[in-house]
Amino acid sequence: MINIQNLHFAYRKKPVFTGLSLQLQPGHIYGLLGKNGTGKSTLLRNIAGLLFPDKGRIEVLGFTPGKRQPAFLQEIFIVPEEFYLPDVPLRHLVQYHAPFYPKFNRAQFDKYITEFDIPRTSTLQNMSYGQKKKVLISFGLASNASMLLMDEPTNGLDIMSKSQFRKVMAGAMDENKCIVISTHQVKDLENLIDRITVIDEGKILFDQTVDAISRKLSFKIAFDSEEIKQALYGESSLRGSAIITANTSGEESKLDLELLYKAIVLKGAAVTAVFKD
Amino acid sequence: MTQTFDARRWWLLVGKHWSENRKKYTLALIAIAGLLLLWYTVMLLSDGHRSMYPGVQVSTYYTGLFIAGCLYGSMLFTDLGSKTRGLNYLVVPASHLEKLLCSLFYAVVVFFVCYTAIFYIVDIVMVKAANAVAYSHWLKGHAAGDEFEPRKIANVFYQPAQSKAPEMLEYLLLLYFVIQAIFIVGSVYFARFSFIKTTIAALLTGLCIAFLIGKVILPILPHGSYYRGITSYHVYTVKEGITINGVTSGISIYSDPATDKLITLPPWIDDVLLFLLKFAFAPFLWLAAYFRLKEKEI
Repeated sequence: MINIQNLHFAYRKKPVFTGLSLQLQPGHIYGLLGKNGTGKSTLLRNIAGLLFPDKGRIEVLGFTPGKRQPAFLQEIFIVPEEFYLPDVPLRHLVQYHAPFYPKFNRAQFDKYITEFDIPRTSTLQNMSYGQKKKVLISFGLASNASMLLMDEPTNGLDIMSKSQFRKVMAGAMDENKCIVISTHQVKDLENLIDRITVIDEGKILFDQTVDAISRKLSFKIAFDSEEIKQALYGESSLRGSAIITANTSGEESKLDLELLYKAIVLKGAAVTAVFKD
Repeated sequence: MTQTFDARRWWLLVGKHWSENRKKYTLALIAIAGLLLLWYTVMLLSDGHRSMYPGVQVSTYYTGLFIAGCLYGSMLFTDLGSKTRGLNYLVVPASHLEKLLCSLFYAVVVFFVCYTAIFYIVDIVMVKAANAVAYSHWLKGHAAGDEFEPRKIANVFYQPAQSKAPEMLEYLLLLYFVIQAIFIVGSVYFARFSFIKTTIAALLTGLCIAFLIGKVILPILPHGSYYRGITSYHVYTVKEGITINGVTSGISIYSDPATDKLITLPPWIDDVLLFLLKFAFAPFLWLAAYFRLKEKEI
């Protein structure tokens, strides 16, 4: 679905990617994690055809994104971190914008709007930032585009909305769609993503499915100092030390995404070594 | 469905553009009508009946058209100067050509038609008002039987054949489309302050061309001047003063059949160049806007 080969990209003289390669398949929700300024948004914009690679090749659904052909654009929807919606009533957004997306489903859109508790009578400019973001997410999901790119989608959402977001996203997924969610708020994506890709310094630091992570790593609270010492990564908390160890017992534990992310960033070599076995 | 142009998709874009901008456009047209009304009223109060001469109406029309049309042209792609608006614009599933043609439809066709309609609505009202006022004054100073000659509504696109420059309005109108096209290209190229930057860029380009002609091309050419268009060049030598009976007068001769030359190129080149200047300049600039739009990154 997405094939990125040897991507080089720089903002004027500041290089962001120097040879990044990545493949994304349909039927998955990818969590694109990384520190601020590591190139997550830049990668999404390259995939959406809003930025052009300096070198290398990007192919999305058989298209070259940079050409921005209508057949490509109607199969991709991007929810940027900062976005603009015109000052029109909600019904006008559907009436005038939806026909560009051949697979747009009005009933689906109405369902998401109801689930997100969006007032239907208000114009978009009179809505709060969070409400507008939920409208955009609803529209993106109802467009049934094969590729959904989301940049920090939970930014600006309140606690209830974040949980609604996870529910809506889980319900909207199917085997033909590929959803990429870029975020640094990893807690918001727990139980939602099924593949984790960590980007750092313009390179892929880690790229594994949640299943593989659960098979290979064990997440637990430890009190035994020897066990803590031998862990791949650990940090102390009020109720003992949260640690990650290689999963030798075969028992699956609950994935702690935040802990895993820190382990990858701080002890990347040790963590990835487990997956090479 | 073609990836370059599809009429249905283009029409969808036209509808979307209208739904997002109709409030702004309606207010802008009301503002234009208000300004025209204000201008005519000031003219009427200061200059009375004479202010509605056809010449005044025509210059009002073209001044307004140039100012408003170029301002609108320079704002046509301002969305591309903002990260959020630009992204929203570029990801709409339509081709670059459809997006450009939609913008041109509003800037070149819709604006021109609406401006002309607004102008004539105001113009007709004001000419009638001016005539009514003038007639009441005229009655006081004229005897019965004299004929009052009212001011007429000017045709802003047509000059009578017997006028000094019958083609002037045609050229003025074509010039407007060229200048507006320059501002449209500027709005794609310059992310911010597009109107000011385009004005400066156009002036600098004009100065460079004038310099090139005046200081580089003309000194290379032999002494002479263009003669009936730009495809024939009359080469002549200037003889300073004429000597008759030993007395040199201050009269200079600019032509001598013995040494003069007339260099001519085929006359069809003149026709082609004139056609290109009249009709190809604006489309060429729109084409430049299209290519810039294609390579735009957000």
